[in-house]
Amino acid sequence: MAEAHAKPPAVEHALKVFREDLDERTAAFLNACVRCGLCAETCHVYLADREPDSMPAAKVERVARLFRRYHTLLGRLAPGLVGAEPITEETLQALAVATFGRCTLCGRCALNCSVGLDPATIIRFARTMLVAAGLVPKGILGNIDAARATGNTMSIGPDEVRETIAWLEEDLRHTLGDPGASMPVDRMGARVLYALNPRELKFFPLSISAAAMIFHAAGENWTLSSTDFDITNYGYFAGDVEAQRAIAGRLIRRAEALGVQELVVAECGHGYRTLRWEAPEWLGRPLPFAVRSFVEVMAEYLAAGRLRLDPSRNPDAVTLHDPCNLVRNGGVIEEQRYLLRHAATTFVEMTPNREDNYCCGGGGGLLAASEHTSKRLDAGKVKADQIRATGAKVVASPCHNCIDQLMELNRHYALGIEVRTLGEIVADALVLPAPPSS
Amino acid sequence: MTASSLTLLVALVVVLVAFVIQRRRPRFTVVPKLIAPPRGSAAAGVIYAFTKAFAPTAKESASLHLLSYLAGIGYHLATFAALARLLVSLLPVAVPVAANTTGAVLFAFGLACGLALLAKRTLDARVRGISVPDDFLANLLVDATLAAGLAASLDSGLVPLFQVIGALLLLYAPLGKLRHMLFLLTSRRWSGAYFGRRGVRPNPHTSGIPRG
Repeated sequence: MAEAHAKPPAVEHALKVFREDLDERTAAFLNACVRCGLCAETCHVYLADREPDSMPAAKVERVARLFRRYHTLLGRLAPGLVGAEPITEETLQALAVATFGRCTLCGRCALNCSVGLDPATIIRFARTMLVAAGLVPKGILGNIDAARATGNTMSIGPDEVRETIAWLEEDLRHTLGDPGASMPVDRMGARVLYALNPRELKFFPLSISAAAMIFHAAGENWTLSSTDFDITNYGYFAGDVEAQRAIAGRLIRRAEALGVQELVVAECGHGYRTLRWEAPEWLGRPLPFAVRSFVEVMAEYLAAGRLRLDPSRNPDAVTLHDPCNLVRNGGVIEEQRYLLRHAATTFVEMTPNREDNYCCGGGGGLLAASEHTSKRLDAGKVKADQIRATGAKVVASPCHNCIDQLMELNRHYALGIEVRTLGEIVADALVLPAPPSS
Repeated sequence: MTASSLTLLVALVVVLVAFVIQRRRPRFTVVPKLIAPPRGSAAAGVIYAFTKAFAPTAKESASLHLLSYLAGIGYHLATFAALARLLVSLLPVAVPVAANTTGAVLFAFGLACGLALLAKRTLDARVRGISVPDDFLANLLVDATLAAGLAASLDSGLVPLFQVIGALLLLYAPLGKLRHMLFLLTSRRWSGAYFGRRGVRPNPHTSGIPRG
């Protein structure tokens, strides 16, 4: 009877989402879990902390208990029998810790669930409820607000983009000894729009330079954009349906305005996933251009003979971290291996690898959720152990989010490694034709 | 038709209607037809999910917990056999001796698997921690059905008891965790299509990039 009383607004809002927005697929998954617990060791968070609350089944069960309360007969008539629970401020708080603090949405449990359900889909739905309840970590919300207000999470204005690119272009010409080398910005009718993670402009400009060298070597007709260039999407991490659509929509409209044939997503796992796989569904229409990862594009150039690489220029052993959103949830699996085998003297696989690879621990928006920093670094232990076991000196990862986490893991676990993008490694191995004589 | 046969028949109709209603509940929003161009094949993913993905080596959850997984497979095979035997009990046909004996062996094995899984749920703190009373009730109901099936295989005079217990199992199925018998199928279809469409499992290697 207590539920007949007025509920706190957070509970009301979450309940509305739970009652009205649950889709048939998520409902099927919630109905299917048998609480066998066999999924436990598939989760890097559980492997690191061994806490029962970190088992995927335990995280699913938090949502399933609410599901049974509002969507099953026995959940209403005999909640104790089926473990049904109402949505309260307490259950929402616990849900926030479980879904933001103990899950990176990597989907490894989904690939390995003995029943065949997808816990990540359930967790993302729970996050959507938490958006309505106002319980999303502030760091994630800050990135969403910045992206919606300015077109990118770091609020970098078009003038700053042009200035940074002009400086990089000058450097590129000097490096290549080719005054004709260019880094075009806002070029109408270019074949390719190369869209960035804004962190590249602020902190990792060399990864943009590397991409420019590769486009130059391949003779590509490409451009950057000074506005709405951001491939990241914290709306997706939050489970904020409106924000994710709005953020992806800005970049897509920008690509349409430039008239490109292809949107090439810089090395960013969730950026690729959201733009390649999710955005058409969010917008409810096909995109008038192809969306590919820069990794796919580089591999295509190499296979077509448009790039020549000398692996001896990368003499240290390189291992590869497979970003969950690019590989397990994106299907880009072999291209990065093909590149590394041609760009480095020694390429060592982690175990496990490809779609079975462990998350670095920084996915799902966790890098922006400072309240979970300690948990995030603990959860990265599995990845640190994987890296150490390879003996490699360089870790390549085609994802700036993963790179941030891997760099922190490098310090935290004293791995003594160098973390690089695929583009940087490929660019170092490039064999360029002699520049035109001036 | 005997009273126990009628009870079983009614339970069958009820469970089918209940599952149809659960499957088509309008309160859940419909997942629209996907628009993003596929990289692999959703159909191939679904086929994989219902074939190779059941192999003990296909998933870590199975390979790391081989005994539990195999017990689960044995338990479910025996349960399906018991449901089939219940259906046959409604027909005016005699069960061949060989089939009856095979059924008895399967029911006994399934019962042993079920009791082992019940013991694990009770004794393993990790699994007990995520369990609810329904988990134990569902297991006991299936165990009772298998035990009754075994008894009916040994003594045909106990078929009515088997039918009544089977009817109870069927009537409870749409209410508690046993409804996974339906939603396991839909879940596998959804996740199989997801990984298949994205070219993850199976990976069609359509990128044109040389392998190796």
